[in-house]
Amino acid sequence: MAAAADGITNKQGAVAAMEPCIRHGRGANGSTVKVLECGVCEDVFSLQGDKVPRLLLCGHTVCHDCLTRLPLHGRAVRCPFDRQVTELGDSGVWGLKKNFALLELLERLQNGATNQSGMAEDALKGMGECIIRCDEDESHTASMYCTVCATHLCAECSQLTHSTRTLAKHRRVPLADKPHEKTLCPQHQVHAIEFVCLEEACQSGPLMCCVCKEYGKHQGHKHAVLETEANQIRASILDMAHCIRTFTDEVSEYSRKLVGIVQQIEGGEQIVEDGVGMAHTEHVPGTAESARSCVRAYFADLHETLCRQEEMALSVVDAHVRERLIWLRQQQEDMTILLSQVSTACLHCEKTLQQDDCRVVLAKQEISCLLETLQKQQHQFTELADHIQLDAGIPVTFTKDNRVHIGPKMEIRVVTLGLDGAGKTTILFKLKQDEFMQPIPTIGFNVETVEYKNLKFTIWDVGGKHKLRPLWKHYYLNTQAVVFVIDSCHRDRLMEAHSELAKLLTEKELRDALLLIFANKQDVLGAVSVEEMTELLSLHKLCCGRSWHIQGCDARSGTGLHEGLDWLSRQLVAAGVLDVA
Amino acid sequence: TIHFLDNLMVVTQFFVFLYCKLLWRGLKFVVRKFTGRCELQRICYNNKHGARRTLKIESSLRYSKNELLQSALSVHPDKVEKTIDDVMALKKINPDTNPQLSISLQASLLQIVGYRSLVAEVEKLRREPYDSENQEHEDMLMKLWKELRPDTHLAGRISKQWCEIGFQGSDPKTDFRGMGLLGLHNLLYFAEHDKATALQMLHDSLQPKHNEINTAEWEQKNLDKAIGFSFAIVGINITDLAYSLLVSGALKTHLYNVAPEMPCLMHFQQTFCYLMQEFHRFWIEEDPSDIMEFNRVRSKFHRRILRQLKNPDMALCPHFSASDLHLVNL
Repeated sequence: MAAAADGITNKQGAVAAMEPCIRHGRGANGSTVKVLECGVCEDVFSLQGDKVPRLLLCGHTVCHDCLTRLPLHGRAVRCPFDRQVTELGDSGVWGLKKNFALLELLERLQNGATNQSGMAEDALKGMGECIIRCDEDESHTASMYCTVCATHLCAECSQLTHSTRTLAKHRRVPLADKPHEKTLCPQHQVHAIEFVCLEEACQSGPLMCCVCKEYGKHQGHKHAVLETEANQIRASILDMAHCIRTFTDEVSEYSRKLVGIVQQIEGGEQIVEDGVGMAHTEHVPGTAESARSCVRAYFADLHETLCRQEEMALSVVDAHVRERLIWLRQQQEDMTILLSQVSTACLHCEKTLQQDDCRVVLAKQEISCLLETLQKQQHQFTELADHIQLDAGIPVTFTKDNRVHIGPKMEIRVVTLGLDGAGKTTILFKLKQDEFMQPIPTIGFNVETVEYKNLKFTIWDVGGKHKLRPLWKHYYLNTQAVVFVIDSCHRDRLMEAHSELAKLLTEKELRDALLLIFANKQDVLGAVSVEEMTELLSLHKLCCGRSWHIQGCDARSGTGLHEGLDWLSRQLVAAGVLDVA
Repeated sequence: TIHFLDNLMVVTQFFVFLYCKLLWRGLKFVVRKFTGRCELQRICYNNKHGARRTLKIESSLRYSKNELLQSALSVHPDKVEKTIDDVMALKKINPDTNPQLSISLQASLLQIVGYRSLVAEVEKLRREPYDSENQEHEDMLMKLWKELRPDTHLAGRISKQWCEIGFQGSDPKTDFRGMGLLGLHNLLYFAEHDKATALQMLHDSLQPKHNEINTAEWEQKNLDKAIGFSFAIVGINITDLAYSLLVSGALKTHLYNVAPEMPCLMHFQQTFCYLMQEFHRFWIEEDPSDIMEFNRVRSKFHRRILRQLKNPDMALCPHFSASDLHLVNL
């Protein structure tokens, strides 16, 4: 190391003569790394690659990269410093010789720099790896130890100093085998410390020499030989070191894993081996990125749906307004025609009044006919006026699925399904006419509209016969709610109901439909309770992710039916918008 | 002008009211004095027996001022004879000079009160729920199976086999909800007395529509499209139709034409047979695309029957095939 440093100082002149120069001198503490730079691009030379130094014929050194950029004059380049011509061979710039002297210098400098920067002396001393200088010559590094003279020597100086016959007998050992120095007792300067006191009270100063042991402050104390004690402690430290190593392994393993996870989250370039075995980098999306894109896709979808729904709602409003205006204009026209008819009739009557008696009598038929039509028209008019409320308001309500609805009653399409004999038709007629009747088996379907609060339910009651069940699907389109009726007092058919319900829930068209389950016939003794039904049909699992409700009811008295409709209306109407209507 | 029109309206209404209250009665009085016959006599002499005569007599009695005549409509069948004598006495008609009148009146009145009691009887049957504890009910159900499926053994009282003859589930009991025993009685009567048609209907309900498509295709289609109708529950639906015709009074035309005296349950059941035959034909004529159109076809059929019954000469007599004829005693 010291030799290397010398080399630099010796070759300083030669280096300075060359164009590349050493910009930063060696600092007082050696912390600044010396760099050699290319005179053209001012980048530091490197041992290989683009920045490798190459010699020109004139003796100037330029980095490879800069050489490739020099303009070609035929097969030659001109030196950027003195414009002398250098012929290039077939291999071009690559054919020029590297500046090996400079490369060697560079290598040494780099090594020196790493050593130098690593020489935090205090730390190194603790590791026992410090560089011990030769006692004869400060600039030499000691490599052996003379046990007699107790000196550190380098090989050269050892030969030099121990050349006499007596001195040559001195036992010299490699530095690593240098015996430990004996520490002397602070109380009895002539005695070396040989023992360790084992008493609890003396743990602050357990070292003792033979005098301390026999007569001094450790007289009669329990003790051990220093060397064995020290070896014991060494062994325990080694043990500990072993433990620490495994612990470190674990920690580093864990942190490696952490790094992996971080990489997986962040994503980025990753070296991937393709099918042919060629390695190339590929951009791998991290989980963070995929999560973000997932969110983006979801909201884009949502946005699109909302836009579509908005357009649809607006078109509904437009259509309504258009229809209404057309109707009103038609009415206006009708009224104008009516007015003109009436005034013509009046005119005619007045004319008749002024005529003589004979003419009046003759006109009788005509007049009465006229009056009759007028009366008819008046009748129609009053009827019409009674029927129609003129109101410029366009009350708008929204359902939860963002459909717009105009008018005081919101229309909702509901389909009632269930096994045969569950009570679908009975419920329908109970809701419609508030009377209980035993229905006949439904073949095909019944359809009724039921008004409840501000909702107008169009209820399709489809027969539950086994043969009809495949036809249920024709009623799913545009259905906002499914009412599934289950006969609570028929335990052995619950499983059949369950499988039909499960089939229903997989239907794509019913994906957004509300599900109201009526546990019918709760009035019958021994009927399955709502809680038990929920449990038996595992409804929480089955209906996971959709809005559903199970309502106990009894079509005979009508208990529970309106609660079910209440739930439906609450679900269907977007919160708070109902008040607008 | 408007005031004038109002007045005209009021005057017209007044005259109509006057006619109803006074003129009609006055007219009746005048005609009576002129011909020397009371209204009942005139009806009997001017109309041939059957619905034409009986319907008129019924409305005449209903709108009569006299309590005796009014109550004659709801008299017990056993007391019809005595009631007729009372009416003759009231109207001062000599039974000896008008022997036919008493007989005609009696027949008509029997038809009228018989219709009432038939309605009551049918209603009672309808209200009687099917009871699986009742052996009589069970026997009837088993008999129905034997009539319709003589060659197949029924595996059990509760069996999927019931679906073969068109019940909804494995226990027919649930299907008798609305129509009670009436449905079972009708089905059994139809199967017993019009076996040929019943079996034909059952056969058709299990077969491809009009044999137009081959069996393989039918099997294929049958999976997602039920074409044929189910015999038993269609029977129950038609029972409902017949019941509503009876209760609304529409069947009077038919029964007054068919039953010589009191109509009884048999007449009703024969009407059911007729309706089943006609509905079967109508269904094929209508050629609905699937069973879901059942209610549309049914209500169209209902309207058609009602229209037919407006004709006072109409009778809904079933066409029994020769083999079933001996069982029928019309």
